[in-house]
Amino acid sequence: MNGTAKPMTGSDPILEIRDVDKAFGGVQALDRIGFALEKASITGLIGPNGAGKTTLFNVITGIFAPDAGDIRFAGQSIENLEVHQRVSLGIARTFQNVELFESMTAMENILVGLYTRTRAGMIQSMLRLPRTRQEEARARDQAMELLNFVGLRDYASRKSGDLPFGWQRMLEVARAMAAQPHLLLLDEPAAGLNISETGHLGELIKEIRKQGITILLVEHDMSLTMSISDQIVVLDQGRKIAEGTPRAVQENKAVMAAYLGKKANPTNN
Amino acid sequence: MDDKYLPAIYTGFALGIAFLGWRIDNAYYLQLLIFIGLNTLLALSLNMLMGYAGQISLGHAAFYGIGAYVTAILSTTYQVPPLLALPAAVGAAMVIAWIVGIPTLRLSGYYLGMGTLGFGMIVHIVLREWGSVTGGASGFVGIPPLEIGPVSFASSKSYFFLVWAVVLAVIILCRRIIDSRVGRALCAIHDGEKAAAAVGVNTRRLKLQVFVLSAGIAALAGFLYAHLVFFISPGSFGFMASIKIVTMVVIGGMASIWGALFGASLLTLLPEWLHAFSEFEMVVYGLILMVVMIFMPRGLTRGLMDIYERYRKTHDRQ
Ligand SMILES: Nc1ncnc2c1ncn2[C@@H]1O[C@H](COP(=O)(O)OP(=O)(O)OP(=O)(O)O)[C@@H](O)[C@H]1O
Ligand SMILES: [Mg+2]
Repeated sequence: MNGTAKPMTGSDPILEIRDVDKAFGGVQALDRIGFALEKASITGLIGPNGAGKTTLFNVITGIFAPDAGDIRFAGQSIENLEVHQRVSLGIARTFQNVELFESMTAMENILVGLYTRTRAGMIQSMLRLPRTRQEEARARDQAMELLNFVGLRDYASRKSGDLPFGWQRMLEVARAMAAQPHLLLLDEPAAGLNISETGHLGELIKEIRKQGITILLVEHDMSLTMSISDQIVVLDQGRKIAEGTPRAVQENKAVMAAYLGKKANPTNN
Repeated sequence: MDDKYLPAIYTGFALGIAFLGWRIDNAYYLQLLIFIGLNTLLALSLNMLMGYAGQISLGHAAFYGIGAYVTAILSTTYQVPPLLALPAAVGAAMVIAWIVGIPTLRLSGYYLGMGTLGFGMIVHIVLREWGSVTGGASGFVGIPPLEIGPVSFASSKSYFFLVWAVVLAVIILCRRIIDSRVGRALCAIHDGEKAAAAVGVNTRRLKLQVFVLSAGIAALAGFLYAHLVFFISPGSFGFMASIKIVTMVVIGGMASIWGALFGASLLTLLPEWLHAFSEFEMVVYGLILMVVMIFMPRGLTRGLMDIYERYRKTHDRQ
């Protein structure tokens, strides 16, 4: 794998999900799921609890192998790549249940996020030649910029596990951004955030998209999802039941039905 | 973090060694200090693996033994100069660690513990049963003292300086690894292997690398041990020895380099102070492990600091 990600050109989709199946025992978590993401777009992936959203993230990032189907990133199949190789290629993510490195500081978390964009190995670390020192200094600068980007500049040396929950979510976004991804997968980034934090997050996501990064957003906060997404994909019990603009999806009968009884109306949250 | 003070700490450490070497002439004390140095190397070695990367090894004495036996065989049976036997001893342990590590490090938790335990037992049995090469259960005699060019390390004092210079060098190198891209990735694996992979760390490769590094440091200690005592036997590298290394790391506190020094000192001195307990050594280590794990899971040094913190906080509140 070459470490640096290739530049993307044209309007070919950056990510294509083709007829992906994934079952856990008797549960069909993903059932012939297919859709594509345009470069620098924001796609909202919604659906009731247990619809298969997180499972789809795990398949895209390589944590689970799909039972059938294919995932293509920038035109090539990534089926045979391991989790860390997909990150080098430009796919980064956050987790639904924040998974920071809790014993490490906010700064160190971002530095680990820069892993695929830095080189020094064990021997270089022992020798600490000028090149390694320069790389380390540059990494720290980049990490500081990212902390600044998410508003955590003043908390660089705080242990990530000690940060308030909302900030932990922001830190996780910054850590994913450190990998300099082309595609960013956000799994319920607003869960547990208050209204002002959620507003800030929305601005941040738009800012990230402006940098040319494609975003796939799983989110139960409908006002956030509907306001920032270009496209919405709706899953229910492992199947894709709708796809289209936020407006079209909100008027879709199947979507209403899927949410009825679980959550009254997708716009009301 | 405390990077600023490190040069001062290292200088102080070196001065401390020089002072002790200058003041102490008693052969018994020198010998004791040399053993503390060797045990510190072993504790540092396992600490990199267990404390930082979070991977347990219950067979670490095997690498210690491989280092000792390779140099013993080469320098005695084949009369290879020790300076050439050194890379062979360390290299052999590293290659074996690499081969053993590929399947073993796929395991985790208890299974990794069992895997390394099994490996340690196999090495112990080979050392004991392969008599024609290793001298078998009765041991290997006649290992030559260390000579590097014109410099001889036959006296206790020179050996003291040699061992502690090596300890300081290994401390500096370990510290550098920890404060680097690789070290942070190791800590990340410890905190959450799934998340580490998800940010792009090749967890399997990195774990294998520390395992190999760790084996190399243990073998270096084995090399120094062989040329110190001139006689080695499989008993020094069995299950007991492995548990002793684990105990040193646990007492000193995981992920603490200075803790390794402390744990090694305590477990070297304790048997000397309490002659009576030699028959119950295993029981005592077991008890220490239990007590520390239950009451001070972060090790004795940090445990005491934690208790002090708690005491101070309750007092501040009043
Ligand atoms: N590792 C796993 N092992 C077994 N079953 C799983 C696993 N992961 C997910 N599932 C099952 O797959 C289905 C889809 O789960 P998934 O977590 O993808 O849903 P989701 O859309 O992310 O839901 P939520 O909104 O609650 O996060 C559920 O029935 C879940 O129980
Ligand atoms: Mg989910």
